[in-house]
Formats: sequence, C-alpha cells, structure tokens
Amino acid sequence: MVGTKNKPYKVALNYAITIVFLLIMIFPFIYLILNSFASWDQVDKHLIPTSYTLRSWQWLFSNSVTVAPAPWIAAFFHTFLVTTISVALMMLFAVMVAYALAKVRFRGRKLVDNFIIFQMFFPAIILLIPQFLLVTKMGMIDSFSGMILPTAVSMWAIFMYTNFFKAIPDTLIESAKLDGASDLQILFKIVIPMSKSITTVIFLFLYTERWTTLLWDMIVSKSDGTVTLNVLISQMFGPYGTYPGPMYAASVLLTLPLIVLFLLFSKNFQDGMQYTLK
Amino acid sequence: MKRMNNKLGWLFTGPYLVFTIIFFLLPLLWSFWLALTNWNLISPDIKFVGLSNFVTAITSPTIHQAFWVTYKFLLVFVPLALILSMLVAILVNRLPRFKGLFMVAFFLPYLSSGVVTSLIVKGILSYNGPISTWLRTTFGLDIDWLGSPTSALIVVSFMIAWKMSGYYGLILVSGLNSINNEIYEAAALDGVNRWQRFWKITIPMMYPSLYTVLILAIGVSFGIFTEVYQLTGGGPNGATNTWQMEIYNQAFVNLKSGYASAVALIAAVITFLSIGVLRNLIEKWGHHYGWN
Repeated sequence: MVGTKNKPYKVALNYAITIVFLLIMIFPFIYLILNSFASWDQVDKHLIPTSYTLRSWQWLFSNSVTVAPAPWIAAFFHTFLVTTISVALMMLFAVMVAYALAKVRFRGRKLVDNFIIFQMFFPAIILLIPQFLLVTKMGMIDSFSGMILPTAVSMWAIFMYTNFFKAIPDTLIESAKLDGASDLQILFKIVIPMSKSITTVIFLFLYTERWTTLLWDMIVSKSDGTVTLNVLISQMFGPYGTYPGPMYAASVLLTLPLIVLFLLFSKNFQDGMQYTLK
Repeated sequence: MKRMNNKLGWLFTGPYLVFTIIFFLLPLLWSFWLALTNWNLISPDIKFVGLSNFVTAITSPTIHQAFWVTYKFLLVFVPLALILSMLVAILVNRLPRFKGLFMVAFFLPYLSSGVVTSLIVKGILSYNGPISTWLRTTFGLDIDWLGSPTSALIVVSFMIAWKMSGYYGLILVSGLNSINNEIYEAAALDGVNRWQRFWKITIPMMYPSLYTVLILAIGVSFGIFTEVYQLTGGGPNGATNTWQMEIYNQAFVNLKSGYASAVALIAAVITFLSIGVLRNLIEKWGHHYGWN
C-alpha cells in the first residue's frame, strides 16, 4: 500500500504480525493435536500440555478398555465411504446438468435454470422432516444409501459449473463435433479437462461440507454399522466427557484427512478461487 | 450456434430431475400436509388439525425466543466474521511475498467440523480448563462461559466466525486486490489520513466483495445448528435456541413432526423475508457508493 515505503523493518514487522495472528487462528488445531498426545491427567489443563503419551491413540485402535469399546476406525471408513460416493455423484450430476444448461438448447432449459437458483436459496430446513420420513418409508433408514442419495445433487455445484461452462467458446465444441466426437466425449475429454481449477474448488468445498455433516447423518444413522466419525464423536461427547483424550485423538482423525487433501490441492485451489471470485 | 437438442438436454438433466421430484418436490408437499396434522412420527393414526399447529407456534414463547435469538446471532456473528476476515485480508494483502501460502494457512479453520470445534471450546473454557483456571488464579475472575446467556451466544458466534474467517478473508483479499494503487497515491497527495482512506476509499471500492461476504454470513446466521446442538443444547434457558435447534428438538426429541413442520414453514418464511430485506439494505448501501 501507499504511504508505507517498503522499508525492510516495516516489511519484517508486517510478517511478524501476520504470523502471530496466524498462530492464534490455528491454535485450536495445535491444541487439538497436542491434547490427543497428552497424558490423561494433562488433557484440558494447560494450553500446552507438559507430558505426553500415546494412550489416547491406543484407545482408538484397541477395544480393551473399561468403557464400552467404540468403533472409531469403522466410523472413519463410513465417513470416507459416504463422503466419497456422495461427492462423486454430486460432481458427476453437476457437470452433466451444467453442460446441458450451458451448451445444449432444449425446451425447458430456462425453467430448469431458474428452478435450480430457487432450490439453491430455498430454506432446506422445511425438507428435513419429510425427507427423513421418505427415507424411512423407502427402507433406507440406518443405511449408507439413506445418507448418500438425498445428498447426491448439489445445486451450488451445478450453478458454479454452469457459469464456468458458459465461458467456454461454442466454436471449440462445434469443431470437436465436426471431428465426430459425441457430447459425452466432448464433456469428459474437452470441457472437464479445461475446468481443472474450478473442479478443485468445487470438489474441496463439497468434500469438506459432506465430511463434516452432522444433522442429516445423525438422524439417518441408527447403529454402529453405519455411524460416521463426526456423528460418533458427537454422540460420545457426553459419555466420554471424563475421557477427553480419546475424543481429541478421534477429532484429529476426523480433521487431518481434510487438511491433507486441502494442502495437496492448494495450488489448484488458489487458481480456482481467483476465477470464482471474479 | 447452439443446436436444438431436446433429447440430449433432458438426458443430461435427467438425474437432477428425478432427484428434484423425489427429494425436493415430494418432501415439500409432504411438509405442507404434515403441518396440518398432529402426527407424532410413530402413532398409526394421523389427525387433521387444520391451522392449529401454526396458532400454537405463533403464540409459543419458545418460538418467540427462537425468532429473537436468530437476530441476536446475526448482530453478533456478522460483525465478528467481518472483522476477523477483514483482519485476515488486510494482513495478507500487505505482504509482498507468500500471499498464497498465508491465505491457504488462514483457510484451515474452514476445514474443521463444528463437533470438533465444540469439543475444543468446551475443553478450553470449562471450569477446570486452562483459560478459566488462568483467569481465576491471576485476576480472580470466574466466568461461566457457556452458563450465561450473553457469553454463550458470543462464544458460539466466535466459533463460527473463526471457522469462516479464512474463506471470507479470501473473498475480501480479491476485493482489496481490485483497488488500483493510483487512487491511494492520489489520496495521499491530497493529505488524506489512514482512517479516512480506509472508510472513504477501501470500503467503497471493495463493496462487491463485502456484499458477497455479508450475504454469505447472513445466510449462515439463519442456519446455525451444529455448534449450538453440541455445546449449549440451545441453552442456557433457550438463549442460543436457534430455529434449526427448535425444529430438531420438536421433530426428533419430542417427536411432534406435525408441529415441527409448521415451525419449519414459519422459520423458512421469516428467513426468506429477512434475507430479502437485508439484501435490499445492503444493495442500497452499495448504490450510495455508486455500485449497481
């Protein structure tokens, strides 16, 4: 900015302030990780625990403890399964619908386009109870399909892709057509490879949101056989109140994959955000 | 030229259409019907009760409280989120290098689950937790963070503002970036001070990104659930009982699905109208700056 001639000490000061603020902002994560390794008499006693142990982590992976064993690892795989399939479906349907809306002229297109915007801003809370009843009636309560199917389409993803696809020149698609490519081939071989950065953004947002969903998974899952890790931590919140160590370990298990995924894609994510914010 | 191709259009939108009929339109109609009954999720007999669920809801003190709690969250959460994300944006934007790296780091809170944040906050702020113990021993302060209505609401608002700060910050950074440096240079020549520069140049110039953040934050404050469910249960004394929390409790704890549907419909109408009014106000503010 102006007025601040880039004097070295001033630049250094800016970095120092930013780093301190960043450390404060990510302190909850540091606290979480440290407490998952803290001795049990140290958990929640100090901002930085002073002695450490692997006991909380051993607790997660073994069931030989006084309190009823909880299937943490199984719950982790349930979360992984439900999230991955849901998000894969959301992405697949989003590119198909968006391609049709952006690049195909068909009767009713305007209607579908407007209805998607309407659904995007529709207060979803109205649908919670009847969706639950519907899933119950369809015999999908306490099943993965009950968690996946009602969350298999994302209006937001369709909306984002439609805007992006509209910017792809029609001539590109026409010339591919002349070369004998089918619409499916054009979509998957030309359009999607061109949308790498926006795909990363949409994928990361959808994945994070689905991974940390509580309300829907909580009312659909009724047993250890389907429970997701987020729901399990939520349910054990009270009962494990006196054993917070394992809860912190389970929370690390829940949070870490998202952080790894995000860091892995962070370059594409930054590019994609630049586009979405224009 | 786009070709007219009905078959392809309907084929590609097919999955969406089937989904919308089954999981959107059908539940929507169902909820209108449910709201007119006294069904309790279990009993085989369902009685049609007309509008009595709506009357009960509108005259219920719990519902009045949920109505006000939402606006209290709006008043506390939105400014908090704005301040935190603005701080992130300004700090990052001043750095000559590694902006992207810092932005990614500031984005990390967005990846946290509300359940996990609640666990951490409960641990840190509990009576024997590090912060309470420290305040007690050094200042003799004894704050029951989650036990007093005002602080519970502030704590929950803070948690969500923290989570969103990096995401909103990213949006604001692009707003700050779009401001041409020459404007600042011209202003500096005219002897404009820092404070004036911020309010008269920075804020008006980055209005579009502020608009996005405000609309997103307002949307969030009408849908608060996880943190409240996990940390306060809507308490103390309903001080953090949001619409979502009330609907969840009525439907899945008290099993009054008919009544809960009526509450959900009322909540949706109020949410819809409130967001509409707030959006208009924010757009007026933008017109004032010359944005359309």
